[in-house]
Amino acid sequence: MELWAATQEALRMLFTGDPELWGVVWISLKVSGMALLIATPVAVLSGFVLATVSFPGRRAVVVILQSFLSFPTVVVGLVLYVLLARSGPLGELGLLYTQTAMILGQAIIAFPVLAAFTLASVQGADRIVHETAVSLGASPSRAALTTLFEVRFAVMAGLFNGFGRVISEVGCAMMVGGNIAGSTRNIPTAISLETAKGEFSQGIALGIVLIVMALVINGAFHTLQGEGQLK
Amino acid sequence: MTAAKISTTALPTALPTAMPNNESMLFIKRLTKSFGERQLFAINNLSLRPGTLYVLTGDNGSGKTTLLRILAGLEPADTLDMTFAGTSTTAVYPPEWRQHIIHVHQHPYLFQSNVEANVAYGLIMRKVPAATRDVLVSEAIHWAGLDARRGVPPKRLSGGERQRLALARAKVLEPKLLLVDEPTANLDRHARPQIVLLLQNMVAAQRTVVVACHDREIIDLPGVVRLDLTDGALTTA
Repeated sequence: MELWAATQEALRMLFTGDPELWGVVWISLKVSGMALLIATPVAVLSGFVLATVSFPGRRAVVVILQSFLSFPTVVVGLVLYVLLARSGPLGELGLLYTQTAMILGQAIIAFPVLAAFTLASVQGADRIVHETAVSLGASPSRAALTTLFEVRFAVMAGLFNGFGRVISEVGCAMMVGGNIAGSTRNIPTAISLETAKGEFSQGIALGIVLIVMALVINGAFHTLQGEGQLK
Repeated sequence: MTAAKISTTALPTALPTAMPNNESMLFIKRLTKSFGERQLFAINNLSLRPGTLYVLTGDNGSGKTTLLRILAGLEPADTLDMTFAGTSTTAVYPPEWRQHIIHVHQHPYLFQSNVEANVAYGLIMRKVPAATRDVLVSEAIHWAGLDARRGVPPKRLSGGERQRLALARAKVLEPKLLLVDEPTANLDRHARPQIVLLLQNMVAAQRTVVVACHDREIIDLPGVVRLDLTDGALTTA
């Protein structure tokens, strides 16, 4: 059976350390990791400000942020493509079909997830957290930091959710990365290409990597949460 | 009798206690609070002394919790003319009062760390040096009978232990005025006396303690001054 043979070949590639396969995995991890590194501080701060500061138009910003949660990644890719294309406004930077472009795209995709999770968790934190801190002598800004720290597990859940979204997205990576072997070919674009060519084994192997990664990350998260989440 | 120190809207303002005196820790000349059209309460000339346990009683919705929150600076009053530990305000609650007035919520929020870190929080905010802090934290934990629970996360504590931790976290800051909202409301028969004992301890250390509650075990304690908040007026019972 073809599928069984392809799976066996996939496992062989995984366990013999096939350099091309693991190179693709490395590019994926690097690009998505960098994207989160860039997006997280800005997104967490934005979510926190949205949850705690009232200003005109705040409601509209929240609605837009939440709609971006379900924004198709391929549209993000399209917009970025138009901006980065040689004839586009940022064409001179020469970023199209580079890892930098992919990182940029994934940071944009991760941003609403991280910001919305932070927003929801800070809003969900009882007002009493802030009041307790203030009553014990914390300044308003310090009390805000305490509140953020108290909802850290929810914010982290947002981080893992964001990672899940960017590591597996294919639309934007394909458009602005271009699926160049050894440079911008990551797990989702490789799976897409190999499958289109009828080469299932590499696709299956990369699929296994993605699933194992999801399990490991979630396992790590639950261990980290430990006591924090026990009710 | 301690009641002579207290006058309220129900009493004429000409009583000798109408003026702040040296014995007074907190003197409210006038404090009012309304929600929309409805005036919740108007308090005139209330004096609270150190080393006294005040029990604030009144029906649900009478404003006990709101009064405690105003005194803690957690909620604004409509009119606020009051003197605390020698400083006065006629409008805005001075933030520095919060260093000496600690409020303990009915369902205290305990930080998601452990017993020790919760007790240390206020000291860290006050920039107390680590060495001193460790000693004070240990003392407060011992005071609350939580020595064996030092490293335990709050979620593993019983209701009584949680309330004792909240009191230890306040006590370690040596507040001049301690405001406690319904500390025994959700506790069983065995846990209540421990809380009562800790409150009495605070009073013995010359703190002013105001407890909002319906608990007879506290109301009937010797030396307790009862403040009753009914129909927007505070009277001594």
